[in-house]
Amino acid sequence: MLVERLRTIVGNDGLLFDPSELLVYECDGYVIEKKVPDVVVFPTSTEQVVAIVKLCNEMDVPFIPRGAGTSLAGGCLPIGGGVMIALTRMKRILEVNLRDRYAVVEPGLVNVHLTQHLKGTGFHYAPDPSSQGACTIGGNVATNSGGPHTLKYGVTVNHVIGAEVVLPDGTIVQLGGQVEDVPGFDLTGLFVGSEGTFGVCTKVTVRLSRDPSAYRTMLGVFNTVGEATNAISAIIGAGIVPAALEMMDQGIVEAVEAAFHFGFPLDAGAVLLIEVDGLEVAVDEEASRIKELCSENGAREVRLANTQKERLLLWKCRKQAFGAIGRLSPSYCTQDGVVPRTKLPEIMDFINEVSARHQIRIVNVFHAGDGNIHPILLFDERNTEQVGRVLAASDEILEKCIELGGSVTGEHGIGVEKISFMEKLFTKETLEVMERVRTVFNPSGRCSPQKMLPTAGACGMEHIERSHPGKKASS
Amino acid sequence: MTMPMTASVIEASEEFAPATVAELERFLGENARKVKKPVYPVGGRTALHYGYPLCDPGTVVSTARLSRVVDYPARDMTVTVEAGIRMEQLNELLDRERQRLPIDIPQLHRATLGGVLATNSNGPRRYGYGTLRDYVIGVSAIDGRGNLFHAGGRVVKNVAGYDLCKLMIGSLGTLAVITQVTLKLRPVPETSSWLWCSYPTWQQLDEALERLTTTATRPVAMIALNARAARQIVNEIHLDVPVESPTLALAIEGTQKETEWQSSVLKDELSFTGASAMYDIPGHHGESVWTALTDYPVVTDEPLTFRANMLPSRAAGFMERADATGISLLSHIGNGIVIGHFPDDWISWEQSLAILNSLSHQAQENRGNFVILQCPDEWKRDLLLWGQPESGYQLMKKMKAAFDPEGVLNPHRLFVKA
Ligand SMILES: Cc1cc2nc3c(=O)[nH]c(=O)nc-3n(C[C@H](O)[C@H](O)[C@H](O)COP(=O)(O)OP(=O)(O)OC[C@H]3O[C@@H](n4cnc5c(N)ncnc54)[C@H](O)[C@@H]3O)c2cc1C
Repeated sequence: MLVERLRTIVGNDGLLFDPSELLVYECDGYVIEKKVPDVVVFPTSTEQVVAIVKLCNEMDVPFIPRGAGTSLAGGCLPIGGGVMIALTRMKRILEVNLRDRYAVVEPGLVNVHLTQHLKGTGFHYAPDPSSQGACTIGGNVATNSGGPHTLKYGVTVNHVIGAEVVLPDGTIVQLGGQVEDVPGFDLTGLFVGSEGTFGVCTKVTVRLSRDPSAYRTMLGVFNTVGEATNAISAIIGAGIVPAALEMMDQGIVEAVEAAFHFGFPLDAGAVLLIEVDGLEVAVDEEASRIKELCSENGAREVRLANTQKERLLLWKCRKQAFGAIGRLSPSYCTQDGVVPRTKLPEIMDFINEVSARHQIRIVNVFHAGDGNIHPILLFDERNTEQVGRVLAASDEILEKCIELGGSVTGEHGIGVEKISFMEKLFTKETLEVMERVRTVFNPSGRCSPQKMLPTAGACGMEHIERSHPGKKASS
Repeated sequence: MTMPMTASVIEASEEFAPATVAELERFLGENARKVKKPVYPVGGRTALHYGYPLCDPGTVVSTARLSRVVDYPARDMTVTVEAGIRMEQLNELLDRERQRLPIDIPQLHRATLGGVLATNSNGPRRYGYGTLRDYVIGVSAIDGRGNLFHAGGRVVKNVAGYDLCKLMIGSLGTLAVITQVTLKLRPVPETSSWLWCSYPTWQQLDEALERLTTTATRPVAMIALNARAARQIVNEIHLDVPVESPTLALAIEGTQKETEWQSSVLKDELSFTGASAMYDIPGHHGESVWTALTDYPVVTDEPLTFRANMLPSRAAGFMERADATGISLLSHIGNGIVIGHFPDDWISWEQSLAILNSLSHQAQENRGNFVILQCPDEWKRDLLLWGQPESGYQLMKKMKAAFDPEGVLNPHRLFVKA
């Protein structure tokens, strides 16, 4: 019945319901919990999304939006089954206006496709998550994605000025627009990062930024992680805001070198990938100050990427670092925590200590300039006892982040993975206010039930027990 | 003229300046449970005239005593302060570490951070640095029922929970009383400089803007003024620059080398755009330009001030039409924001209304809207102060009810009493 009615909305080739085909949709990049939806639909227009959402309301089934499914927090887990609304066929670029610095795109557009489309115009869309070759702009909006260049340029919310949303009751609302200072509350800013719990985003207006006219990309080589983190503190403390400041420790460097043969020193304790950008007249000065600060903090050498080719290879190594991890271990689990940047030495020491105590190897590749850590815990899925230690070690690291004044997620989101941490981060009163805010958008709780808030979801669906960490991608 | 309604309501209200957040929580909680009287949160009292007039006396809640610096880990480039801190004091604190919140705040010496958030204050630098939504990373606030809540945190990157910080910015004290704020900071650049260009016509000014779409420089402010506004500003700060035609003022910041380079490249790029004059205003002279342009929207004796938003590329055309009526105009033209003061020699309400309607219509045709920042209280009930209701209007009303179910926080300031 549900399937038949959906078929009249999206046509025969616009839905999947065969159990074998649904298997792909049982999880996203977070594979610890799994659940298949009853049906996946692929709308091609806002009107179709409206019709689908209204039908779900009429038949009282939950529904959940999905982009590329690269979420690392289980944002796409269809708790309670129901209808999964996959937006991957809504991927047009509807308008590009350089003079007014915006583009209007459909949510299923892959992030990097916008970058490619803008190439040569002198403009770009700044947020560049490491998953940009696959993830969608709609998914970026829902999770408020970051990326290596968010240190200087900010995260998704800083670059989204409007969104068309199909609310959970099926009405269409335009939040923000193509102009600034839209009167009233900043519902656009609130919508970004709402992880699919406020409705389905069907159009996004993004701010376009001017391309920097010059780059200097450097590789700082350090004997120890401690020296590298001190250098980061020194750079930020000196009032320099590089475009990117990323760290890879020895374990990752080893794997990346084996995969891409960049020529990384294998005996280095840590390397920093540092990029400054801006005007040609300024970048050299900034680069040389950074070089000095690195040396003062014990850098063995600071190499400059001499050619564009070298620069791109360095970035390829960084953005595809996770792909190389398979060389180190059969399974791995990426964490996402944040600490004030001056607390990086402390959290890195702690990670070391946890690693030793639980006998779990941990490697690190992360957005160091933002204090956004991504410890990657290596293990073997078949060893259940080891799996227990991985979960315990992850939790301890995240708790330490809270203790140091940070957060349990810098960019991957709460999803289902980190719901249990919400009560540790926020007071009961705060969670209650968030609950009220969610109810304004999603009173029935039918849209993305049991996400983000520990109390979320009116449907009373079972919460699947976390049993083992999965093979998760890093970023 | 009778005393404006808002001022008389404030005068007839009791005043309460809590010394601690807990005191304020208790007060708001009891108020919501028992008397349910209006609560008017105030900081520096620089923007009390915004919005629909207040109706009934209640309690003016002042954040004056909530003004501590909670934590300033300068090397993390974040600062956490209580909401009642004066912007001038905050800026001095940050300046000692050569850091800043790169947002221009009108009436710095009076405005408090809480009030600045509530009104989403900004100025010329918004073109290069954005607005408060790009810098506020944590907020504590108390809702209409006396519930203290926190959003965000003290780290620069954080996606845990809904971003309630965004809701607080520009909410005019209608959702919650902001008690504490954490900001992300930026280093203070070595130097800044203005380039002041006069254009014979609006069309030529617009062509210059078109040229700047792909400029090799990175201006941090892009301001357009009509002759009337230019005159006012230049008189105030005793500058020797021409003011008789449309003006485009561009600011650049950075190291000495960067600003010198940009200044000369900008002049090159603009040399064929028909400017009748171009003047550099470097260094300390430039400082007074920043202040005068920032204070322009609020420091006025004129009867009515509006703010129109639209696509930036339509702003010059909008200004040309408005200029013809004798309004004084400043535009953050790179952002599509035009602020105008009606002259005080217009006595007729009908005349004012006709012009308002036409301008508002023009802004809407260019995807924008039209907000009235200040005007006599007795005009207000006949005007759509916050413009044509946006598509999210119903959601906004529900949001208000979610935070303030008793409707005690600045009642009807945003949503006029039916
Ligand atoms: C290898 C790898 C690297 C990564 N690197 C980064 C990184 O550098 N920075 C970063 O921030 N993240 C990173 N991620 C995480 C992930 O890619 C981002 O969260 C991304 O934004 C998700 O986009 P998506 O299209 O895959 O969304 P999905 O995974 O499909 O969905 C994510 C969430 O958004 C909701 N959603 C999706 N589309 C919509 C819509 N149209 N309307 C409403 N809700 C919607 C879903 O319900 C879900 O809750 C990485 C992931 C991988 C696998």
